[in-house]
Amino acid sequence: MRLLLSESLVLFLSLAYFLLLAPFTPGLASYGNLKNVFSNMLPLLVVGIGQTYVLIGGGIDLSVTSIIALSSVVGGILMNSQNGVLAGTSWAVPVGVLVMLLVGIILGLLNGMAITRLTMPPFIVTLTAMMFFGGFAIWLTQSQNIRNLPAGFTALGKGYWLGIPLSLLVTVLLAALAHLLLSRSLLGRWLYATGLNARAAEVSGVPIKTVILWSYMVSGFCASAASILYTGRLETASPVLGQRIFLDVIGAAVIGGTSLFGGKGRISWTVFGVLFISLLDNSLNLLGLSNFMILMVKGTVILIAAVLDALRVRQA
Amino acid sequence: MILFECESISKSFIGSTVLQDIGFSLEAGQVLGIVGENGAGKSTLMNILGGVLEADTGQMRLLGESYAPKNPAEASARGIAFIHQELNLFTNLSVSENLFITSFPRRRIAGIGLIHRTRLREAASRLLDLVELPLDPEILVERLSLGERQLVEIAKALSVDARLIIFDEPTTSLTSRESTRLFAIIERLCAERRSVVYISHVLDDVLRLADHVLVLRDGEIVGRGPKSQFELGQLVTLMVGRQIEQLYPPRCSVPSPEVALELKEVSQPGIIENISFHLHKGEILGIAGLMGSGRSELARIVFGLETHARGTILLNGKPLPPRSPKECVRRGIAFLTENRREEGLLMDWDIARNLALVQAPFYARGPARLIRDAALLERVAGTAGKVRLDPSILQGMAVKALSGGNQQKVVLGKWLVGNPAVYLLDEPTRGIDVGTRYEVYRIINQLAFTGTALLVISSEIEELMGLCDRILVMCRGEIAASFEREQFDREAILRSALWNSHEFSSG
Amino acid sequence: MNFLPDKILLRFLANTSWLLGVAVFLFFGVLSPRFLEVANLVNILIQSSSAAIVAIGMTFVLLTGGIDLSVGAVMFLSAVVAGKMVLSGLPLPLAILAIMAIGIVIGCVNALFITRLKILAFVVTLATLYVGRGLALMISQTRAMNLPETFLHIGSARLLEVPFPILVFAVVLVSSHLVLSRTAYGRQIYAVGNDLTSGAKAGIPVFRIQASVYIISGFLAAVGGIVSVAQLGAVSPTFGNQREFAAVAAAVLGGTSLFGGRGKVFPGTILGAILIQAVENGLVILNADPYIYPLITASIIFLAVLLDSLQHQQLRKLARRKIRPA
Repeated sequence: MRLLLSESLVLFLSLAYFLLLAPFTPGLASYGNLKNVFSNMLPLLVVGIGQTYVLIGGGIDLSVTSIIALSSVVGGILMNSQNGVLAGTSWAVPVGVLVMLLVGIILGLLNGMAITRLTMPPFIVTLTAMMFFGGFAIWLTQSQNIRNLPAGFTALGKGYWLGIPLSLLVTVLLAALAHLLLSRSLLGRWLYATGLNARAAEVSGVPIKTVILWSYMVSGFCASAASILYTGRLETASPVLGQRIFLDVIGAAVIGGTSLFGGKGRISWTVFGVLFISLLDNSLNLLGLSNFMILMVKGTVILIAAVLDALRVRQA
Repeated sequence: MILFECESISKSFIGSTVLQDIGFSLEAGQVLGIVGENGAGKSTLMNILGGVLEADTGQMRLLGESYAPKNPAEASARGIAFIHQELNLFTNLSVSENLFITSFPRRRIAGIGLIHRTRLREAASRLLDLVELPLDPEILVERLSLGERQLVEIAKALSVDARLIIFDEPTTSLTSRESTRLFAIIERLCAERRSVVYISHVLDDVLRLADHVLVLRDGEIVGRGPKSQFELGQLVTLMVGRQIEQLYPPRCSVPSPEVALELKEVSQPGIIENISFHLHKGEILGIAGLMGSGRSELARIVFGLETHARGTILLNGKPLPPRSPKECVRRGIAFLTENRREEGLLMDWDIARNLALVQAPFYARGPARLIRDAALLERVAGTAGKVRLDPSILQGMAVKALSGGNQQKVVLGKWLVGNPAVYLLDEPTRGIDVGTRYEVYRIINQLAFTGTALLVISSEIEELMGLCDRILVMCRGEIAASFEREQFDREAILRSALWNSHEFSSG
Repeated sequence: MNFLPDKILLRFLANTSWLLGVAVFLFFGVLSPRFLEVANLVNILIQSSSAAIVAIGMTFVLLTGGIDLSVGAVMFLSAVVAGKMVLSGLPLPLAILAIMAIGIVIGCVNALFITRLKILAFVVTLATLYVGRGLALMISQTRAMNLPETFLHIGSARLLEVPFPILVFAVVLVSSHLVLSRTAYGRQIYAVGNDLTSGAKAGIPVFRIQASVYIISGFLAAVGGIVSVAQLGAVSPTFGNQREFAAVAAAVLGGTSLFGGRGKVFPGTILGAILIQAVENGLVILNADPYIYPLITASIIFLAVLLDSLQHQQLRKLARRKIRPA
């Protein structure tokens, strides 16, 4: 029982799972496959970081997949070399990237405003945001993918720098920064306090509304950063980008041990959670399970993680 | 005919005795009035009668038969109805539905048990007639005034055919007209040979209604008899007559003439009305008042946790922004909440983190606002020493594992880490042991000595008398009286805190 | 006396669904007279019957302060199972019984996790959404399934000139309205949604009531699934997708609160469901860009939830304990 409720359970679980399945699963332990698992992990981790912030603050962000899609599409519209707004100009990539990030931040801001100023429930706000902005991305592109993205941009998703994948570099940098802010900065401290007990935090002078607003902006920013990595790697901007990872994002954070009740969570836990989900996804694919079987497994895993979370909270 | 009697009832919670050797009897058709200060044991006694708590020792008899209810349902089945101070109504349902939520009259139509609406309506009308509330039973409770809701609650208690009805502070939210109506109801209940236990702070009402009066103090009966034996002043003396046992550390400073905090006609409809006062530097100002007199609400309004509609609050002559605890903290106001568990502490954090929360912004540097943990921790450790918290438990142990006294030291300590100019202390010694109490008093004195202004809210009048330079008494959201140190008089203070319902009706 | 305007605001907020309804019908009626023709109005009613049935189930859940995101998946799963059973030669009534059982079973699973293990309703039902869809995709092998004629027959059948979908809709509506407004159980649902602790204190079996609403919601989602399939005659792999949003939207639009204890199936939820269908129908008549539909639906839900939140805040303000008469 102790192990079941311990915080690094997921890391052990991932390792055990890997060791157990490796002999039966063709190619699971191969270099190529592991590389694949890790490169799949990166953008998911970036989104997961943002989700961790929101969950710690006691909220939830279900709109990340649509933020990824809309950000991708806006980037594509700006940068593609066929009819892009900025096509051919030398500053297409930096401006494009900046605007993509801005899309995420603004959508996060809108979520946060609706939740803090209009006092609407977070899950329904972000759920409608998911529908609206996902629909908006599809409408903008009339459900078409956008190709012909500049090489400077796709390099962000699949390029190397001194032999290190750029996406890895970006992710590690972001994760380190997120970890530092969460564990050492005032915002981080306030975020934990707000999620744990918003009333007590407010009485101690914590501006809880501002803190919650920030958490959604961080989530939006992370989602758009992930969008850059995904879009770059696929060399395609797509209005349905990200839809596949809807469950993975929340699953990864909660499986890692971040509480749905707020106040508890760490970037490192989310790293483990993302590792577990990616491993699960990959191995089930290799085992020849169909897409819907994987959906079922993931749904079940999230339910189990939520049960564990509830048990942990009640034990405490 | 004796309806109810009890003898040698005692009850203690975790070592401290709340009730000791209580015994009384009540005849059918009579009203027993019970008076006593907050914490005298009235509620505990009634909770034992109503089956909410079980007595440690003693027997009760109802109509000669042994009576020992295990739960409220059993008490109600035996004919004892308990009307609590707080309302338990479903505001989204109609009056009639609230009256019969677990006992709807039904009829079967095609095998389905439907609510028999005409019978429901009739039954509800009958009950409403009993409390003389001329309402349509179909009206939603959310559209009723608080007084009407209180009467509905009473009607609900009458829906089970009760022989003994307990009223706990029933007039708190009634207007004087509604109170008069309630008294008529009680008289009628008695005429029907039912008995009533009536608990209230409004001594006038008790003397008017009751046949017998019981005075409780510190869990013991200090006076009883037919009401003709008592008059108002005598009741107050009996309620108060406790020796002051607590020692207070000597004051060694006097307030400065400089004003730290000033309130000018601060009002919030329904909560507080026209509150004005000055709080000087180095002064300890007490606020006395019963529960629900608006004393806590006042502190919360000053600290920006709640809004106020009119009036200004000035700190060192400058107005405070509305609704911003953060700004209050920044400008040097500390607020110690009466609700330690829900508002005072982050129970899962350790002492050091809790102590550091308020001051964290002042130790955040650089564009990322990184907290200088080492410096902050050093500061926090210093404060922990000041409030005499064991330095070895500062880190790694969640505060929920601490005793109440130590928890309170943490709540106080987190404000001491900075140097606020004004403290608002709401029940600073609630639920803590004698040793810690003295500790808290010492710190309060120390703060006043260094020129800090303190506002202390407490239900214990002698605590305020031992501690304060001046005491304001609140009653029904207004300041009812003000006492300088040399005028301190326990009875006078209590008397102005216990409002008089008839005076109020004229205002 | 400053709460007079508060009460007026409240009255306004409580009646927005009617105002919105009138606005929608006026808007499309002016742009296209065809919209208000009787045939089209009946059409709207038939089209909205499935969504309305599911939304009625959702209303039960919302009344207790919960949410059920798995209804779309239940619709899909029950449609697929029924299709398979009939295709393999089993009689239709047996298939219908089986799918109702499926709805009830999924409802029980939701209820178990929510009331016994105390997990947030939206997490539990999100998980069962995925498990349910996965199961249905597995059974249908992710292919569209053309159903035998018998299904379409019931879809277009009429009893005393009343089309079958409307008939089922009417039965569900009348019985659920009766249960909610005229039975002790129904009134206790409202009580639990208003104040769980007071409900437990008053002796209401709160957990049994909470569990029952998820079972009702699962059951009605299955019924809604059949009604929809009977009209379509086929089950595509995206069948039932995002129907949970439509159901929540219909209920909230009709004045049911996400905070529990407030709402009615009639006229509220029904009005909401018809309103949403009317918007979709109107957009089709106007030949609007189909990609714009989800944008409009999402905006409607957002607006409904916003109004609900404002109303909830307003009520809380009025319910605050007063120390002195204001």
